[in-house]
Amino acid sequence: MEKITKLGLLCSLVGLAAIYAGAVYVRPSVTPIAKIDNEFIGLKVIISGQVVDLRESNGHLFLTLQDNSDGTMAVPIFSSVRSQLGDSIEMLDEVQVTGEVTLYQGALEVVPEEAGDISIVHSPCLGISSIDNSLIGEPIKVRGIVDKREIVGKGNIILTLGEDGAQLAVFVPSSVAGSSEFPEVHVGYVVQASGWLQMYENELELRITGASNIRVIEAA
Amino acid sequence: MLELLAFIALGIAMGIITGLLPGIHVNNLSPMLMALAVASVFAPMSLAAAIMAMTITNTFISYIPSTFLGAPEPGSELSVLPAHRLLMQGKGYEAVELAAIGCFGGLVLSVALVLPMSLLMGPTYKMLRPQMYLLLTAVVVLMVALERSKTKIVWAITIFLLSGFLGLLSLDTNICRSDAALMPLLSGLFGVSALLLSLKNEGKMPEQRIDDRPLEMKRHLKPICVGTAAGAVTGFFPTIGPSQGTVLAQIATRSSGSREFIVSVCSVNMAKALFSFVALYAIGNARSGAAAAVGELMEIGPRELLFLLGVALFVGGIAVILHMKLGRLAARNIGRLPYRATCIAVIASIAGLSFYYSGLVGLLILATSTAIGILPAVVNVKRTHCMGVLMLPCILYFAGLKSGVLSAFGL
Repeated sequence: MEKITKLGLLCSLVGLAAIYAGAVYVRPSVTPIAKIDNEFIGLKVIISGQVVDLRESNGHLFLTLQDNSDGTMAVPIFSSVRSQLGDSIEMLDEVQVTGEVTLYQGALEVVPEEAGDISIVHSPCLGISSIDNSLIGEPIKVRGIVDKREIVGKGNIILTLGEDGAQLAVFVPSSVAGSSEFPEVHVGYVVQASGWLQMYENELELRITGASNIRVIEAA
Repeated sequence: MLELLAFIALGIAMGIITGLLPGIHVNNLSPMLMALAVASVFAPMSLAAAIMAMTITNTFISYIPSTFLGAPEPGSELSVLPAHRLLMQGKGYEAVELAAIGCFGGLVLSVALVLPMSLLMGPTYKMLRPQMYLLLTAVVVLMVALERSKTKIVWAITIFLLSGFLGLLSLDTNICRSDAALMPLLSGLFGVSALLLSLKNEGKMPEQRIDDRPLEMKRHLKPICVGTAAGAVTGFFPTIGPSQGTVLAQIATRSSGSREFIVSVCSVNMAKALFSFVALYAIGNARSGAAAAVGELMEIGPRELLFLLGVALFVGGIAVILHMKLGRLAARNIGRLPYRATCIAVIASIAGLSFYYSGLVGLLILATSTAIGILPAVVNVKRTHCMGVLMLPCILYFAGLKSGVLSAFGL
């Protein structure tokens, strides 16, 4: 019996050492998003890119990351993981995610398992005065004081953000303004907003696509 | 209607095949039905009914090979040892009956509890989740402490850590796809190791006694209720994978005897299978390959869910009869098979399937898990310490330490 014990223990240790060596050899490395296809399903990858879309639902956060390879990838951050994150994630932040590639409703996504799988580098805000027509159609992030708050149409909100004398309109559609996650924003508050720059009636305007895209930095 | 019945019959047939062949899972055949859906003019409802029928039948039938051949499928590994013990006492058919009670009880209770469970599970899980790793650690400490003597405790810890590290390496690294790794892992720890030892110790399969008394559901109400609740949790939540789910189920089903244990594990698996479909409606997220396939076929609203639950109950009634008939057939004939040759053939087929699904790495995982699985029997400690294979990754996951530990090992 002792022989079998020794043999069992020896085989276990040798097997574990071989599996460990194999796991080190194939450990996940940063993979260009455009390269990730169905072959990667079930494997762990590391992707690094800019947040170009961000939505919230039932406490979960759904990101879309884009990297230099021009690929985009959905990254769902479930509420249990999100609640462990020490930092918030905003549009245009650089985010690195380690997670398993899965297929959900026909599309690939990378799912982080815990907060340690996500690292965030916040992108700086653009000065409002530096925003011009060349940025139309691009995602941008700005910070400013709410000079004006109007409700237009069926519950849409237009905030006018000011910074060093320059102003920018921020359009919040009713679907976002009406969500429970949208923060209370009043005149005099300092807010950070991110979204897509567009032209509306010959004026530049920032369009918010989700409640997480606006954050109150300082209440008046 | 005829088309629907034909598809349900097809699902049942596929469920029998996937259930009887160790290593072939419903998830392997669901894509086939999906392909059929794309290329055919059949109603998505009929195809969804076939997938549901296959899932329910598979859950019942998979206990037959795990009882008589000791070859577990993911989810049934916990029942292998108690069932194998009964088999060695000539009570293999009783194990089949207990599985039928657990599966059918779990099915009926799950259908009855769909609404209240969907409402209660969220808050309960949210409340427990932050303390889950402590709960799991306490279970491990208790499991180890129950060994009593110092030498046995040292062996128990060694086996727990060896299997835990093996689980971490196989399920949480890129050496193998985690779903493909489960089969060689669990088969090695709980199936092949037991078969190898029984090859050495027992030359002959004892004659199996077949009891014709009717099934008694009432006596097993407690394990059915506990198992169904645990199965519902594992089938419902998006962050609980197969490993976390099985461990939660194990905690919830720490029943006193082997018989209760088999019933509760079977209820867990049936509830898990059913609630993975309910999750499609309740949270819009598929929690199994089969449910994902149904989700791809059609939008699940209250009407569709009710239809699927109806199909599940209908198929459950048929599957329980098929399960008993096949179980009786197996019990009558298992003694006629040459035991050694059967064991060797099962081991060879598990090795072949491990190689087919995961290549040489699958064989390496199978060999290592078998070596670890042999240790509890030779050093005379409980084989449940091998559950470290799922428990250690689980504890680390719930404690939020898995990434940290993997990076510390350079992974």
